[in-house]
Amino acid sequence: MNGLDARMRAAHEVGDGPALVALYQEAAETAQSDMACGFFLTHAFVHALESGDARADDLKARLRGMGRI
Amino acid sequence: MTTDLSTVIRPIASAHGLPNAHYTDPGVHAEERAALLFDEWAGLAVAADVPEPGDARPVEFLGVPLLLLRGRDDVVRVFHNICRHRGMILVSEPRRIEGAIRCPYHSWCYAHDGRLVATPHVGGPGMNTHAGIDRDALGLVEVPSHIWRDVIFVNLNGNAAPFEEAHADLLDRWREFDSPHHHGGADSRFTLDVNTNWKLAVENYCESYHLPWVHPGLNSYSRLEDHYHIEAPGRYSGQGTYVYRQIRGEDGAVFPDFPVLSQKWDAGAEYIALYPNVLLGAQRDHAFAIILEPRGLDRTVEHVHLYYASPETDEALRAQNTAQWKLVFEEDVSVVEGMQKGRHTPGFDGGRFSPVMDGPTHLFHAWVAGKIAAHRQRAVAAE
Repeated sequence: MNGLDARMRAAHEVGDGPALVALYQEAAETAQSDMACGFFLTHAFVHALESGDARADDLKARLRGMGRI
Repeated sequence: MTTDLSTVIRPIASAHGLPNAHYTDPGVHAEERAALLFDEWAGLAVAADVPEPGDARPVEFLGVPLLLLRGRDDVVRVFHNICRHRGMILVSEPRRIEGAIRCPYHSWCYAHDGRLVATPHVGGPGMNTHAGIDRDALGLVEVPSHIWRDVIFVNLNGNAAPFEEAHADLLDRWREFDSPHHHGGADSRFTLDVNTNWKLAVENYCESYHLPWVHPGLNSYSRLEDHYHIEAPGRYSGQGTYVYRQIRGEDGAVFPDFPVLSQKWDAGAEYIALYPNVLLGAQRDHAFAIILEPRGLDRTVEHVHLYYASPETDEALRAQNTAQWKLVFEEDVSVVEGMQKGRHTPGFDGGRFSPVMDGPTHLFHAWVAGKIAAHRQRAVAAE
């Protein structure tokens, strides 16, 4: 997770939306709880929305399936 | 402060101009902000400020933070530039919005058309919905707007008649110019930062009386008698000329004309102040719009934009044209700043009008007086 943290910070630093989508998705896959997974997917979804990234639709569907949107 | 406007609305021969307080008193300025600028269709910006879909530009108008946004549907909209959550400013610099507008505070997201599309963690961590938050009711607040001659007009208070209705006669007057107007681009826009109340810029623009003295370069071919008044009480006023002369490049080249104009415009041109704050010029080969942005009681930024009949025009000729108009509008600066300083003279009675030459200016004063009187009556009725 430490490596992921660093990559997230770096992506935030430069506002790299597509990278943030991927990194938060990656974090969601290794999350220890449903809530944590929802948290990270939410961030992936928001960054996808902001950057007009096509992955937003899948992320939205996934969050909806979890009852989180 | 309540000013006495009874002398302003007299017939021109006995009328006085607006009292000093309309140029110097913060309380009256606040009244005018509401009655003249927020209740009416005020000029805010031009559509050319957001040329491509997704372009967003924050604009402050009399302290109100607004956002111009050209949507993916190519529609230009004006929104309050604040999030519906905590009122945070959404967009602080002009930029291209690729996807959604994300609030920099808690990341609520809005679509190009203002819909609220995400409320992250609003129901707790990772829970992005809550029964108490109806996203459909929480889109960005859109300000009524209308684009005419590329000028984006807004009615901040949302209480004016539709633009086409409010200005039907001017739209009809200039119907012949309904063809596309192409902004000349970066070399065809400039601003003048002037130490004057915005109304003095209107007053100066709409009359021809000052032309031979302030713009002596006109005297060789455009004399006072070549001009006529344009007077539409309660809506607009200005002046026209019968001797418009097209600008020519060194090789004699001219700009292409707007299509299908009648003979009237061969040597005719009109210059109209559309109340409250937009100054327009209509000519056979180019047009201009000046949006007066009141930055305070005694400061106005004039945003000048030049338009052509074709998207492709000669760059050098455009530069020459911009320089020519800039010179003309700069010649007006000393008089509007001088009148502003003059308004600090105790006991000045607002001045007297030339019954023959000052009709368009008097009409503007009478419009101000009428709007302020109505505003005050409504305030009294509401007490």
